[in-house]
Amino acid sequence: MTPSISYQLHRILRGSIPFWISLFLIFLSVVPLRITGFATVTPSFLMISVFYWSLHRPYLLPAPVVFLLGLIFDILTGTPMGLTSLMLLVVHGIAVTQRQVFVGKAFVLSWWGFFLIGAGIAVFSWIVACVLELTIIPILPVFIQYGLTVLFFPLLAWCFAVVQSSILKHI
Amino acid sequence: MALGQNSAWRLAIPLKVFFQRFAFLSLICLSIALLVLGKADLVVMERVRTISTDALSPVLSTLSQPINALNKGIERVRELASLVEENERLRRENERLLKWQSVSRSLDRENDYYRRLLNALSDPLVLPITARVVGDSGGPFVRTLLLGAGTLDGVRVGQAAVGPHGVIGRVVEVGHQSARVLLLTDLNSRIPVALENSRHKGILVGDNSSSPKLEFLPTNAQVSPGDKVVTSGDGGLLPAGWPIGMVASVAEGQVRVQAYADWTRLEYVSVLRYDLPGLTDKHNNPGDLGESKLGN
Repeated sequence: MTPSISYQLHRILRGSIPFWISLFLIFLSVVPLRITGFATVTPSFLMISVFYWSLHRPYLLPAPVVFLLGLIFDILTGTPMGLTSLMLLVVHGIAVTQRQVFVGKAFVLSWWGFFLIGAGIAVFSWIVACVLELTIIPILPVFIQYGLTVLFFPLLAWCFAVVQSSILKHI
Repeated sequence: MALGQNSAWRLAIPLKVFFQRFAFLSLICLSIALLVLGKADLVVMERVRTISTDALSPVLSTLSQPINALNKGIERVRELASLVEENERLRRENERLLKWQSVSRSLDRENDYYRRLLNALSDPLVLPITARVVGDSGGPFVRTLLLGAGTLDGVRVGQAAVGPHGVIGRVVEVGHQSARVLLLTDLNSRIPVALENSRHKGILVGDNSSSPKLEFLPTNAQVSPGDKVVTSGDGGLLPAGWPIGMVASVAEGQVRVQAYADWTRLEYVSVLRYDLPGLTDKHNNPGDLGESKLGN
């Protein structure tokens, strides 16, 4: 028996939730919040989202979608196009290949994993940006952003977990 | 039959994995290619950027409204506490400013008179277009702002953007209804400036830190902290004499400037339409006075 069209549509809509959440988080990080000094160290909510969904629902956030999200972020913020895409693809690649290490284990483990990957990404993105601009860019904001991102991880991960267990339970 | 299906599956799964890997690697290569191509200033990439920004800026503008309202509410509550002192301070300031107003009026008249005597050409009047800030740089690598106004409103690439306290940067990209401002703190920002008192000229060079460097000053220039820095108008792109900031420190031949702009409170930004006859191209910068009757 083939499922009805409305069922399939429903499924597709629900399946695209990780994408919409990520898109919303991009907007959230670009909208001016007017907190002193926050603009340059806005936590990378998008990276948390990509990491989480790559771990828990990799087929709902495949590599091309990750690439697209990174590109949208780059376009909106004026970052060199491809920089965020590259970083997110690396995060996605690591998360997908190391799934068995994190999924089903204690939350602290994925936080720790994100902590390590985030550090690598911070340094890597800084190096790429410096090579692109052929100057030394101040590294402190990069690390503050990384620290804030790690601190925000539990909150967002909790929200994602709620979404996952309520809407995406059987998808 | 069942056997055939089985072997097909056995073939299909590695194929799927292979294609997934292939897609992943090619996307990584594509990102790197984009980064490299981005350095080449391709027109196509710029078009993609402006079109997408244009399409997405209404979303940002809508999203930023509740946040603005919230911020305003918080500020209102904070202001309530110091209402009396604030009132007192403003009254005193108003008195002082009224005196200044009369002084500046008479100076203005005097200036006009001398100008007429000398038959000096005055700079074209500058018309501001004020737009709301709908996005900021959500990361550590760039210092830009996204404005909710574009070519339809008269914004053009190269125009100066000023906040309530002074120049904040220049328009670098413009779509139909959105524009990106490169702040003067950004790595790629270069703005011709002059020291207000000594009239020594230099270039304000951003380096992603909060206080940009002042470079290419003449070697004999005397600079000390507190000197005011204004736009020099060199190159004809920016109007001359607009305030930028103050010299914050002079150390080891490096002069740092603290901008007047309050980077976190930029809610509205004015883009200056400025047209030097003969120097700027009408098509690129049609923001002259003839277009609107405001200047007359």
